[in-house]
Amino acid sequence: MSALTTFIKSLVITAVIALVGGGLFLYSGLYPMGADVPHNRLTYWLLETLRERSVARAASDIKVPGDLNAPERLLAGGADYNDMCAGCHLKPGKTESDFTLGLYPAPPNLTLAGDEHGHEHTGDTENDDEAIKRQFWIIKHGIKASGMPAWGPGHDDERIWNMVAFLKRLPELSPDQYQILTARGQDSEGHGH
Amino acid sequence: MNMKTLATIIVFSTLGIAFSAQAHEPKEHMKDAEKPDCAAMKNMDHSKMDMNDPVMQAMMKQCMNDTHNNDSEKDQAQADHQDNEKSSGEQHSEHQH
Repeated sequence: MSALTTFIKSLVITAVIALVGGGLFLYSGLYPMGADVPHNRLTYWLLETLRERSVARAASDIKVPGDLNAPERLLAGGADYNDMCAGCHLKPGKTESDFTLGLYPAPPNLTLAGDEHGHEHTGDTENDDEAIKRQFWIIKHGIKASGMPAWGPGHDDERIWNMVAFLKRLPELSPDQYQILTARGQDSEGHGH
Repeated sequence: MNMKTLATIIVFSTLGIAFSAQAHEPKEHMKDAEKPDCAAMKNMDHSKMDMNDPVMQAMMKQCMNDTHNNDSEKDQAQADHQDNEKSSGEQHSEHQH
């Protein structure tokens, strides 16, 4: 009985010390918040795991449309990608921008295949499907404290799926192909021909 | 709150919502819209082009739209030119009389 009481007391004391210590560290202002100082490995792992698990859970029920390969989707999504995303996520022939240099975490270079920008999601259909759902969810809802905005409030699901369709093919595009697909042209208003 | 104040609030908030939605329309991006550089397609390796590939189909579609527009512009310019010639011809014949 006394051993159990001692154990519970030790547990409570440890918890109180951890809480007080955590609070003191929080209020001390010692943690570097500048985007030019990377997180330590533990913080980075904690935040990345939290993000990836949260997105995977939230995106699991999304239904992927069957016509993602339609040329109309590539044209509509390409024009939106160029206007809304290329500044941070780059386009063929560009390797950096002020945003990729300054944002932390650095936005992934989406002109590279998934495994080249840090996500192992190419090669098998199940992983591709998960990657597509993940991209849709991230474009729609954004990521807290990362610089990635939620595009959902101003863009309907169809428009977001068009961007996902374009992202699927983006790593294969040459600069010339990219220019043709993303130019809004003269009558490409929404590309709804 | 009287009806006039309520109506003013409703009108302004509706306008605010309408304008904020409009800002995300593709039309908003048309001001600085780049035209597709379809001439670059001629320099691409045609042996590697697959007509069943959605990227290829999308490029063809984009460039067909562009060619169509250019043709329409040319037709319009030609029509304008013919109208100008016609009207200047009429003016010329009036001067002769």
